[in-house]
Amino acid sequence: MKPIYKLLSLAVCLMIIIDVQNAFAQKSKDKPADTTKKEQPAKPEEDAATPDMKVTTPDPNAFYADKAVYTFDILNPSNKPQDGKVSYQVFSETGQKLNFDSLKVNVDKKANKKYTFEIPEAKPGFYKVNLMMNITDDDDTARRVFGIRPEQIRSPYKKPVDFEMFWQTAKDELAKVKPSFKTTFIKDSLNRKIYAIEMQSLGNMTIRGWMTIPKAGGKNRKFPVWVGLPGYQVNLTPIMADDDNLAIITLNVRGQGNSRGPIDTRRDEYICYHIENKDNYVMRGAIMDCVRCIDYVFSRSDLRHDDVFVTGGSMGGFLSMATAALDKRVTICSAQNPIFSDVRNLIGEVDWPMSDIIKYAKTRPGLTMDKVLNNMDYFDVKNFATDITCSTLMGIGLLDPLAPPNNEYAAYNNLSGKKRIMVFKDLGHEVNQVFATLEARWMMDTFALF
Amino acid sequence: MTLTRMMIKYLLVAVMLFAIMQNKSYGGGLPVRPGSLTISPSVLYFFADKGWDSLSHKSPFAQNGKYTSISYSIFAQYGISKRFALVVSLPYVISNYTQIGYQSHSSGLTDLETGIKYYLANINYTYYFSLQGTLITPLYTDLNLGYAEPGSELKLSFAGSGKVVGRNYFFNVDEAVRQYYGNQGPVQDRYSATFGLSLDRRFKNQVIFSVGGEYSTSSFTTVSANQALNKNFSFNQATFSFGHAFTRSISVFVSAGTFISGRNTGDGSSASISLNLRPFRGI
Repeated sequence: MKPIYKLLSLAVCLMIIIDVQNAFAQKSKDKPADTTKKEQPAKPEEDAATPDMKVTTPDPNAFYADKAVYTFDILNPSNKPQDGKVSYQVFSETGQKLNFDSLKVNVDKKANKKYTFEIPEAKPGFYKVNLMMNITDDDDTARRVFGIRPEQIRSPYKKPVDFEMFWQTAKDELAKVKPSFKTTFIKDSLNRKIYAIEMQSLGNMTIRGWMTIPKAGGKNRKFPVWVGLPGYQVNLTPIMADDDNLAIITLNVRGQGNSRGPIDTRRDEYICYHIENKDNYVMRGAIMDCVRCIDYVFSRSDLRHDDVFVTGGSMGGFLSMATAALDKRVTICSAQNPIFSDVRNLIGEVDWPMSDIIKYAKTRPGLTMDKVLNNMDYFDVKNFATDITCSTLMGIGLLDPLAPPNNEYAAYNNLSGKKRIMVFKDLGHEVNQVFATLEARWMMDTFALF
Repeated sequence: MTLTRMMIKYLLVAVMLFAIMQNKSYGGGLPVRPGSLTISPSVLYFFADKGWDSLSHKSPFAQNGKYTSISYSIFAQYGISKRFALVVSLPYVISNYTQIGYQSHSSGLTDLETGIKYYLANINYTYYFSLQGTLITPLYTDLNLGYAEPGSELKLSFAGSGKVVGRNYFFNVDEAVRQYYGNQGPVQDRYSATFGLSLDRRFKNQVIFSVGGEYSTSSFTTVSANQALNKNFSFNQATFSFGHAFTRSISVFVSAGTFISGRNTGDGSSASISLNLRPFRGI
């Protein structure tokens, strides 16, 4: 082969390999924002270069069998040798101090040096670790989370024995409510028709949302359905995707967005609304609103009933998993950072929502936290997870302060269907574009929308 | 017919095959949407006035010899289910060879190819593998048009898409083994690698570069005076294409290609135009 063709072939191969590696990496390119640095006094111009550190861990997800590995790379561009130490302090998710170790540091001027720690932890779970550098001209701390055999994480708290019965009762109540579906054409966008949708749900409450349908295709075309469920106190609006394959429904559950009505709370009160009674708790109705939305999908002849995708983040992730557990008409489910997983273990691990719930319990006469937790067992994602049989994709951030990885894995490990989890070791209560891309491709593949 | 003239004609067998196979680069490794139908009519013009011998020495055809062919092909692909697709192609070829004091002309339908493509697997829903089994049914008896033998082919394809330098790209790599069931084969290894880059957001305009080739072997190893037995040859070729999508259902591709290297084959260049029509989008 002539050299020019060889070069072209090589260039093509390289471009493909680079992209494959990016696709496999499943890690955020975002730089962790959890590094604290001691303020340095102003220095003379000739010595402006200050030492710095980089902390790396070999596993892309920071998952290990029994020893986490972290390497400090100390960069000293200054004209002064740097002495001091590097150390780590491990904490449980509830902040209990565990392992600690340190190493003496001596880095020559204009030199780099690496120090590696192997951090032993025997018990499966996620651990917070502070990685600290204290040297002549710099103090720095990086906060990370690592996992030890996360696939073995199990919640010690059992699912209520009447969990399924509780939800069957709720569904039976819902079935007695005449849905009275309404679909109102709003307007055309460039490639979609926009509709307002409305339905009656549990307690005869009016629930609203939006649907956009591609203009492309004939009258007989049936569209797979993407159902987007809302985060906490989020007002979902119509989604105008540049896509002609999917009908997109966005639902505002009771007390949120344009479904505010009898339930119109202040933002921080919503999570506690009637939590003292599991039969009246706002989430019972909200979950039933999602099931009613699936009823809506099945009421329409222009939607494909065997291709229903539910997805959401945070509270939307919670609603997605609950809906998939309770309604087997859901084909696939995606949940990003679902809240309310392994609820009893959230106490001491997270601030919100437990702080608001504890505060609420204290203000209600006769209400104990035990009673609240007993109720919340019926709204725990890890308990819903055992009833999910459809393919499920989860995305979590190891630094998530609202949905910590221990709790998320307690749910993930309970999933009995086909499942996949994407872990972002440097992200908090969010996922990134890598997840969004994979989620979309997974859905398109499942629905054969090639 | 002189021996030289005969030899040149035998070299053109591979050229003929190339002319036919060049329109087969559709489909590739990507799965096909159930219920979708793609129909692609195309015209390919091929010209050669020199060739490579069995030692890959290139020289002009004797007596100012020139070979031209026009191949009209129709390719169709239908998604049967998520995993299976039906693939059919049928070329009609008109070929001419002229040299001082001699000319020949052949035309007709050539090998009907009927295949089933199976979507094997994917990597992260980004890179796809498929396997295709194809039956080759000759619709002719004129040996100037091909081997006139039935055959079969098994093809493994790998395809994917993504972004590079801020632009969408796709690639497709095919590797196929083909066996003709006549006397002494041949067995052929056929490969192609294609890389396409969108010039805008959604492949409205795109450029495509591909390399491909065939390595045909048989226990009959010499260039024979009997052209039907000339089953040992190889070539590599490169093609550059431009594609434009008028709508999501109608696009056109214009291509130019040339041979890079070869053995027992003509060294030629080609130009083609093809339409890509999707009358049914599928589910």
